[in-house]
Amino acid sequence: MKATRIVRAVAGVAISGLTIAGLSVAAVAPAGAAARSTVVMMETSALTSLNGGTPDTNLVTNTDVGYLTGMGFIYYDNKPNLIRNTKFGHFEVVKKTATDFQVKYTVNKGQVWSDGTPIDAVDLLLSHVLSSGKYSIAAGLGDPSVSTAAFDSVGYGGTYDGHVVGTPVLSADKMSLTIKYDSFQPEWEILGPGPSPVHTLELLAAGKTKLGTAKENLAAKAAFLKDFTTKNTAQLKKIGAIWSKSFNIKTVDSSTNPLLLVCNGAFKVASAVADQSVTMVLNPKYNSGPAMTKTNPITKVIFSFIADGSPSYQALRNGDIDIYDGQPDAAGVAQLKAIRSATVYGGVSMTYEHVDLRVGAANGDKTEYTGPFAGDTQKAKDLRHAFLLALPRGDILDSQVKPFNPSGVVMNSHFTLPGQTGYSTIVAGSGVSEYTTGTQAERTAKALALVKKYYPTASATVQPVDIKFLFKGSQRRIDENKLIAAEEAKAGFNVSTTPNAAWSSNLSNVSYDLAMFAWAPSSVSQTGTNANFQTDGGNNHSGWGNAELDKILHSLEAYLTPAQITAKYLAAEKIVNANYYTLPLYQWPTTIAANTALKGIKSAPLTPNVVWNFWEWHY
Amino acid sequence: MFAYIVRRLGMMMVVVFGASFMAYNLEAYSSDPLAELQQSTAPNKQYLIERLTRDLMLDVPPPIRYFNWLKGLVAGLWGQFDLGMTRDKHSVAEYIGAAIPTTFRLVIGSTVLAIVIGITIGMVTAIRQYSRFDYSMTFVAFLLFSLPVFWVAVLLKEYLAIQFNDFLLDPHMTWPYIIAFSLFAGLLWASIIGGERRRFYAVFVGVFVGNAILLEVLSLTSWFIQPGLGIAGVAVFGGVIAVAVTQISTGLDDKKALYASLITAGLVVAAYYPLQLVMNDKASLLTVIALFAGVLVAAGAVGYFITKIDRRAIMRTAMLTGFLAMIPVVVDRFMQEFGAYYKSDAINGRPIPTMGQANQLLTPEQAHNFWINSLDGFTHVFLPTVALTLISFAGYVRFSRGSLLEVLNMDYIRTARAKGLTERTVIVRHALRNAMLPLTTILVNDFAGVIGGAIITESIFGWKGMGSLFNQAIGSYDLNLFMGVFIISSFLTVLANLVADLLFGVMDPRIRIRK
Repeated sequence: MKATRIVRAVAGVAISGLTIAGLSVAAVAPAGAAARSTVVMMETSALTSLNGGTPDTNLVTNTDVGYLTGMGFIYYDNKPNLIRNTKFGHFEVVKKTATDFQVKYTVNKGQVWSDGTPIDAVDLLLSHVLSSGKYSIAAGLGDPSVSTAAFDSVGYGGTYDGHVVGTPVLSADKMSLTIKYDSFQPEWEILGPGPSPVHTLELLAAGKTKLGTAKENLAAKAAFLKDFTTKNTAQLKKIGAIWSKSFNIKTVDSSTNPLLLVCNGAFKVASAVADQSVTMVLNPKYNSGPAMTKTNPITKVIFSFIADGSPSYQALRNGDIDIYDGQPDAAGVAQLKAIRSATVYGGVSMTYEHVDLRVGAANGDKTEYTGPFAGDTQKAKDLRHAFLLALPRGDILDSQVKPFNPSGVVMNSHFTLPGQTGYSTIVAGSGVSEYTTGTQAERTAKALALVKKYYPTASATVQPVDIKFLFKGSQRRIDENKLIAAEEAKAGFNVSTTPNAAWSSNLSNVSYDLAMFAWAPSSVSQTGTNANFQTDGGNNHSGWGNAELDKILHSLEAYLTPAQITAKYLAAEKIVNANYYTLPLYQWPTTIAANTALKGIKSAPLTPNVVWNFWEWHY
Repeated sequence: MFAYIVRRLGMMMVVVFGASFMAYNLEAYSSDPLAELQQSTAPNKQYLIERLTRDLMLDVPPPIRYFNWLKGLVAGLWGQFDLGMTRDKHSVAEYIGAAIPTTFRLVIGSTVLAIVIGITIGMVTAIRQYSRFDYSMTFVAFLLFSLPVFWVAVLLKEYLAIQFNDFLLDPHMTWPYIIAFSLFAGLLWASIIGGERRRFYAVFVGVFVGNAILLEVLSLTSWFIQPGLGIAGVAVFGGVIAVAVTQISTGLDDKKALYASLITAGLVVAAYYPLQLVMNDKASLLTVIALFAGVLVAAGAVGYFITKIDRRAIMRTAMLTGFLAMIPVVVDRFMQEFGAYYKSDAINGRPIPTMGQANQLLTPEQAHNFWINSLDGFTHVFLPTVALTLISFAGYVRFSRGSLLEVLNMDYIRTARAKGLTERTVIVRHALRNAMLPLTTILVNDFAGVIGGAIITESIFGWKGMGSLFNQAIGSYDLNLFMGVFIISSFLTVLANLVADLLFGVMDPRIRIRK
């Protein structure tokens, strides 16, 4: 019996302590502190395609990989200013008349794809195929507005498609391309073509699985030029199928066709593990854009896929990732700030929150809107005015922005963002100041007085005006709706508080009196806001319509100096404010947190957000 | 029997059909795939909206669209099974095919661990009913049972990954920690071993002191960043395993069994140095499997030659001992690799990750080395396995405890005791087997649930298994993907129910499945 007890005691000691000390006594020096050159960045979704140019693959991770592996004529910096990449080439207006507007794009000599093939203007031609529905129809590739075309591109139906004339013209030395439009295009700078390794598409279409020789590559490029100019339907359909489908891969390893990986960016995809990560290494032949910084530059970038929230905060803290780029809540920001080895970079996004009041049925909608805000009667205007006056924009800013970005401001212009050219001029003169002067209590009192004109019983406790509010059931919107409903109640409005999951398909639903959502612009554009306010504008869901406003908006579609643009915006905003259509709330805050050792991180408001200046990153 | 199975399969079809129709419509009506596009200010917004509407057939009402989806499933009858495409243009079948192994890797370890630990503790608490151990385990079981996994995961990442990695920078355990761990170990073992007060304190003090000395020695030798068991550790484990296995299998009074086990363990220890040569850098999983197979053969031979009486039981005991005693040898081999792994560039001194399935920074040589590659896989699967085990083993504890207690109170157990059988024989031979019967049902169902995935756990640890696929499908309004995951998991659940019922009929002679 005694023996068993001893055996048991020994077993207890052995198993309870992790284990018996073994033979290995050698002391171990701390891990080597060699300079790091790898950046592991979080992405919340997995890589689904190496081609982010189709509507189904135009997703953040795919386009971020595309940004690191490709360079063209332009990119946005963090201001956000459009920067011309003069390393790659240059472009200028060569003709500008009322019906003939031409831009010439020239690729600099000496640049090569990662397989060594020289880049020239032939590589720009694919852009036309991807953006012009007219070309697609003429070449027998299908009408993208009716059914999916051979090239299932995200680019059809836009400004380029609407205004381009004929096919772009190559110069004799094949280094320049001239594109002709039917009129001046205010967005001409961002309409330009981008390079694609067309020779690889031809080789892929021929069933090749290895990189071509220099001779084969040149022959393939010539073949593409011929297919493009002669509109070789059969071959272009083949290439289209490859462009649309073959790049949809999640795994990249030694068995991946190297033709799919040819690029001209600073990095090229080295490997990818499905649903886990994608690894990019420096492209030794890169000479198409800004040079990598000299001291301790980054030589490897890994996108690691992890959910936003505590998993990614803890991953940053444990050093599993170097860059956090997500949408944390206030508690999350506090957690990120508490990480000693990381720095938090606050910023603002181009995406901004706004409230739209319904005036009538949306363009093309038959049913009539009869709610309290309907029409241009003095009563409707006064009620809209009152509603906007009692909108607690400051409280919303305090709850939704300040925890992330203490320097965040209420947005006061419909056409420009805080900090952009002309913003302060517009705010000073557009009449928006009546929503910024005084305290919210004073403004709400004014609002109540306006409501009382028509509903004498209205008071802080009696709400005779029922307002049906359309918003999404996300935490952000629910919180905002609560703040709005509470403040508007003091002005006599009884605001509904039920969210609608299908809000987007109800934007034109006349049973709602107002809608709150965000606009997410993907570029800075002179006429980008027109569609929101034009009588028949595609984004005008609230039935706004004003002939004078339409005239000003139309006049924006011309070549204008910055001062002229500001003047026109100001005139337009005066009308918008005088009609009490809408008020912007705030720009969404962005939060980036990165390993403090990693330098050069700058948050940017437009896609590709944090990766925009990867060439400046260093340790 | 056959008619019964056919009838059940038919009912299964109806259930799966009804469930899938409801799920499809619920998901379709609750989602808004156009929402993101509506926020866009792109000039070609209209084109994009039209194209998506066309692509996802959004202009067709969901109840009708469902049959379009069902078409692909029904086509499976003539071999053209088609679950459709995801929204990012990959085949749903391909997605699911990749997700099932991932989920398996994630949950199989924790499910097996939870079952083994849960049933063991459950049985021990039943045998030591109303003891200190019973009370403390009941408390622990209920505590863990009530914890949400996302919170457990956050805590585990904080303490077992982040802080443990920090600790490894200077791997010397301070006295407060040593005392706390030793107190815990002492209390644990003292309450498991039990007995009267004097014995309780003796065990407690013994374990406490032993444990404290052990931890201090480990700290002083930097064991935590350069671990290993060495031949001495392997020998100690081998001896303990031999004695413990014999005690449970045949009882220590069976001297032949004890000798067979001890000889087997001795053989494993003697083979320690030769084995190091076999387990070299070129070794693979096959090498390890071959080693275990070799040990089983050798142990079987030892049992065979040591006796002629009761040969089967003794062979079984020796083989189990050999198998278990081999584990420390392999673990020791992995530990030897840890120092180099820890110092490598890819790890940079932080071996326990909080996310992912593999370290992408390993060099190709490291990735092709079986030991390093497995070690890397193990460090990645470690936290999720612990998290899932912690929250799920409590259920097994309660279930097996109740089941064994019920059996122990039955008349035939009293009869067995009255016959003069030893307590070991009564419990191991007579009670345990019958107590396991009702557990079959939940085991089978749990295994079916495993494929359904651990939605939260997978997302938290960045694993793309069935659970996070389901999550993704809901988040991106991907109806085909949603239905793909749904149909596989609902089919397996219904099938598991059938299997459990059939299994019950096979194992319990009191139950007969009627025609």
